[in-house]
Amino acid sequence: MTYVFRNNTIEPFFDESYVFSGYGDISAIPNAELYIWWYQLPYKYDFNQIVRELISYKEMLQYVSNKIHNELIVFSLVNQFTCSIETGNVGLINAIDEFNKVARDLSNLSNVKFIDFSEFTTLYGNQSLVDWKYYYTAQYPYSPKLIRPFKLWWKKKMCQISMSRKKCLVLDLDNTLWGGILGEDGVTNIKMSGDYPGKAFHYWQEGIKELQRNGVILAICSKNNISDVEEVWNKRDDILLHRDDFATIRINWKDKATNIREIASELNIGLDSMVFVDDNPVERELIRTTLPMVAVPDYPEHPYNLPLLYDKLVNDYFSVYKLTLDDVNKTYQYISNAQRIEESSKYDTFEDYLSSLNMHLKILPVSEITIPRAAQMTQKTNQFNLCTRRYTENDLRLLLDSNANMWTLSVSDRFGDNGVTGLIIVTNDGRIDTFLMSCRVLGRGLEYAFATYVLQQLKALGVDRVIGEYIPTAKNILVKNFWTQMHFRCVEEREDGSAKYYIDLSNETLQIKDYYSIN
Amino acid sequence: MEEKILDILKRNLNSVDIDTSCSWDNCATWDSLHHLSICFDLEEEFNISIEPEEMGCIKCYNDILKLIKSK
Repeated sequence: MTYVFRNNTIEPFFDESYVFSGYGDISAIPNAELYIWWYQLPYKYDFNQIVRELISYKEMLQYVSNKIHNELIVFSLVNQFTCSIETGNVGLINAIDEFNKVARDLSNLSNVKFIDFSEFTTLYGNQSLVDWKYYYTAQYPYSPKLIRPFKLWWKKKMCQISMSRKKCLVLDLDNTLWGGILGEDGVTNIKMSGDYPGKAFHYWQEGIKELQRNGVILAICSKNNISDVEEVWNKRDDILLHRDDFATIRINWKDKATNIREIASELNIGLDSMVFVDDNPVERELIRTTLPMVAVPDYPEHPYNLPLLYDKLVNDYFSVYKLTLDDVNKTYQYISNAQRIEESSKYDTFEDYLSSLNMHLKILPVSEITIPRAAQMTQKTNQFNLCTRRYTENDLRLLLDSNANMWTLSVSDRFGDNGVTGLIIVTNDGRIDTFLMSCRVLGRGLEYAFATYVLQQLKALGVDRVIGEYIPTAKNILVKNFWTQMHFRCVEEREDGSAKYYIDLSNETLQIKDYYSIN
Repeated sequence: MEEKILDILKRNLNSVDIDTSCSWDNCATWDSLHHLSICFDLEEEFNISIEPEEMGCIKCYNDILKLIKSK
């Protein structure tokens, strides 16, 4: 359940599943997975009285946040007043700032998130925020005209908070990344700096670079000669996006749908996490019809409108509440993964290749530091995920309290550090509740090493009988036979495809290949 | 117009079997919150303003029909 602390009638702004406090009532704090604090300034003409009320809101919020251990989302207060008799009196502004500062400071706690609500209200003038008829008849703080846009905005906010954003931006080159057509205008004449339109493309490239710095994977899909493009990279000092900034490139004359499918499978990401940007409406239409899961925004007719496209990319596809260090490093990891794939053809056997990687595994019990990443993985991992159980940070804390064992896996090799990319949770009765791996580390046998290591640990703890489960989803067919590959015996198979497996560790040797070094 | 009113009632009262006999008294989901959202949808759909005094008087399908015809 989601429980909302409020001081006005805001039910219509949320789905029916939300539960609401009394107006300005904090006496009851029922058990909920998620709490929302959304108070508005009281509608009063006596600003001194408003200031006094804001002080009490602040104290109430502090009290509530002390009592709550699950996730709490706090909306900032927004000054929605349209008249002020004494325009130089900053008392009210100060009181609003003070409340918002308390709310912002609370968001330093791991379970509290702060939402700047002016992000929404600035889209509307103060005059249109309130519909007095609905305020006086039903105490709606905001006009019912804003219900629909609010719901859309809120949905996006929740996506940002749960980190469900797109992963990869696929870019065309000619008249998309730069002005002009390379094959016709030549290396020296394409435009990406100087006067307009070059200036517009320069600023656009800056923006894309910033996305890449914030964990968005970049790829190129362009009909061009690769040698021409390499010449651009070698000869043009003003290009901001170099070969190294792209995790993979498809510069060829094949159709773009095939190229994009290849990019998805090379990077091991779903088509539904890709955004394709191309100035050519024919190419956009091809992708929209053949690969409807790929997001394809329109490209502006004039380069001076590129900032509008950039806003759309950020707001609709790539914005998040906060990035973890892992998210930011991910692009570099995808790039080194692509190098790994190129390397893998140099060796006689796959095992030769694996042992050349110098893989180092760190398998550690989950700690307060790794809980956020562990929870995030349960929320986001779809393919290599045996049971796909989604947990919040607090769920994991509760599991730890119930004596469940949890381990995370971090992997580094000679190409770089992949960060925390695996999680196993075993309940205190020996049931493997969760086993997941980020797909960017798959293909190196790490899942077997990780699982075997954990089984060794369990055996050392005196746990011999271990249960593994598989619960099918639309995306995890990859791991359907994982437990049998691990020598578990299927003991139960249900109609929905889910299955239970069993292993008696006392008869197992539990060996790990020696090219993995652990801890 | 009749169809549009019924659509608004169905949408706001979360029910598909709503007909012209529907009223505040015989429909369990028609509470004061839903009443407000019905009023707002009627205002938007028919481009009218329903005054607070009138909001209190439209308690069934027929009241609504009569009100809108009078606007």
